[in-house]
Amino acid sequence: MVTVSRRGWFTTLLKGIGAGMVLGGGGSMRESAPQAEAAEATGPLTVRVTRPFDAETPVREFTSWLTSNERFFVRSHFGPPPAEAIQPEAWRLSVKGLVKESLSFTLKDLQQFEPVSLTAVLQCSGNGRAHHRPKVPGVQWERGAVGNAQWTGVRLRDVLQQAGVKPQGVHVQFQGADRPALATVPLFTRSIPLAKALHPDTLLAYEMNGRPLPLLHGAPLRVITPGWMAESCMKWLTEITVRVDETPGYYMQQAYRIPETAVRLSSGLPGSAMVPVEQMPVKSLIAAPAEGDTVRIGPVTIQGVAWAGEAPVVKVEVSCDDGKTWEQARLLGEGQPYAWRQWQFVWNARTPGPTAILCRATDAQGQEQPATSPWNPGGFLWNGWDRLTVTVEA
Amino acid sequence: MRWLQRGSGVVLALLLVALVGWTVITAAQEEDRAAIEPATARKAATLVLARCAVCHTTDLIAQQRLPQDRWTVTVEKMVHWGAELSPEEAAVVIQYLTARNHPGAPDQLPSIEAELATMEPARAQSAASDGPLTGIAARGAALFAHNCQACHGEGAVGGAGPKLARNAVLKNEGAFWETVLHGRGPMPAWGAVLNRQEIADIHAWLTTR
Ligand code: HEC
Ligand code: HEC
Repeated sequence: MVTVSRRGWFTTLLKGIGAGMVLGGGGSMRESAPQAEAAEATGPLTVRVTRPFDAETPVREFTSWLTSNERFFVRSHFGPPPAEAIQPEAWRLSVKGLVKESLSFTLKDLQQFEPVSLTAVLQCSGNGRAHHRPKVPGVQWERGAVGNAQWTGVRLRDVLQQAGVKPQGVHVQFQGADRPALATVPLFTRSIPLAKALHPDTLLAYEMNGRPLPLLHGAPLRVITPGWMAESCMKWLTEITVRVDETPGYYMQQAYRIPETAVRLSSGLPGSAMVPVEQMPVKSLIAAPAEGDTVRIGPVTIQGVAWAGEAPVVKVEVSCDDGKTWEQARLLGEGQPYAWRQWQFVWNARTPGPTAILCRATDAQGQEQPATSPWNPGGFLWNGWDRLTVTVEA
Repeated sequence: MRWLQRGSGVVLALLLVALVGWTVITAAQEEDRAAIEPATARKAATLVLARCAVCHTTDLIAQQRLPQDRWTVTVEKMVHWGAELSPEEAAVVIQYLTARNHPGAPDQLPSIEAELATMEPARAQSAASDGPLTGIAARGAALFAHNCQACHGEGAVGGAGPKLARNAVLKNEGAFWETVLHGRGPMPAWGAVLNRQEIADIHAWLTTR
């Protein structure tokens, strides 16, 4: 069991009360430094939870190819760890469990491995939870718990090979330095199957968009499992443990699981076996115009982004009459594995009045974005057609 | 004390709140929606601030729209993880959250903090109202651990809230009761959660620290 130092405990508590009780009338408690930094560094995010800080990116930001570090959505279960825990002098990454040799790395040690950069979408599994009916408990994310960034780091495979995975080792467990306010809350511990861990594109990333990984995004090191949902992308990584089985505990065995049937986009009703959330389903978003905008009669440029887990997006369609007719949008640039694809559609708006604009994408495996996603008790993997309303003005 | 000067006005306001609250609820007879008395609502909102906001802010709670069974499961999970609620207190919190944050509730609701600020104190009590009380330190220890320790630390040595052991406020009974009954800044008001005897017991225990 991990115990939390009294000091860390109170600091976390203080953060919470400082931020959460502002309305109480400004007592003697102040926001702690990391919290204040978070507020400054994140610009115009839509805050869902003040502490631990959870915030989403306004979709208008998705008119750009890369999502900036400052505007990137933020999600964690317990907030960032205390600064001492991740200072370069103190921070170590340990690799242990079913390995021939347990290892411990400083960040400098890790940077001796071959550096790799790739651009990948990172998305919270709960993105779009607010659209599920009946409503589901959890952070009520709408559209923006997703972003596209360039990640630089080393291959997890290279690190595991140095330690030497024993034949019995088939799951790779990650633990970060973040801790809950009370030690009675389960730690956020996750594992991925060895095959994904050994995939040459699975990274231990120390840079985001060419800059050192920011505190809110997992400094100094986080996992990136391209094509998979973000709960596998452990932030503030400190321990890698090779195991014979999937990690036990709440955040692996209960949370982040969906009925097996929902994965295959059929009924999605509970009763079937629950399996871990892994790949991202195909999805697209409209970045412009924005919900509620007024557009002029004539040509209107509609733009957005589309992505899928491990298969490229091959088609994006747009409807400007509430889903009655669909037309194909133009995919921009070159497709890159794991990154999102920008798209554009020029709509000739002719009829004044309000209208709904929708978009849907299809991936190379033939998976098409559904009108609404299969309901599941955790409210995960929403990928229903994106939809907004604009008013055409003469 | 501020409180006493408001005597009968409070009773009237309470009646009005109760009446209005009741009519609104009957009009909106939602399946999951149970009527809740203002005094219970006040107690529950205080509990949410004092016991739930320990690990996360109340915005995570206020954004949910859930039926009673899911609120029950959620609150039970929180208790299992360390939220300090007795079964009776948990029942009050579930009742309040089901009444306020049911699936048919409006998208925009005031924060729980803002709502609590507009609620009238639930019952008239003050240090002076019915003569002196003798606190029993032995009972106060458990009451402190349950209600105050998360913020004031084990042994009242301080934490997110100030150190209370050997704090001068213990000798200034007026200030002590005023703060505990009505709250101050981030310090919750306890008037709707603890009775006078319980507060006196906590006071007695604190003076032994
Ligand atoms: C001991 C710490 C702790 C306390 C005290 C606590 N919670 Fe939580 N709560 C958590 C954690 C941890 C989560 C999960 C957060 C996450 O996944 O980001 C959570 C999540 C939630 C959620 C989101 C739904 C879910 O199941 O994840 C709700 C609603 C909630 N809490 C309500 C409450 C209420 C009401 C209380 C007071 C009765 C309370 N909490 C007290 C730790 C706590
Ligand atoms: C949610 C956190 C929290 C809880 C729970 C809490 N307190 Fe406090 N308390 C505070 C804070 C913060 C202050 C300082 C208020 C201020 O700055 O004005 C405070 C102040 C006080 C003071 C005044 C101290 C002084 O120096 O003037 C007393 C007395 C007190 N609390 C008693 C209690 C008692 C008794 C309980 C339990 C029944 C309790 N508190 C529970 C946070 C809390």
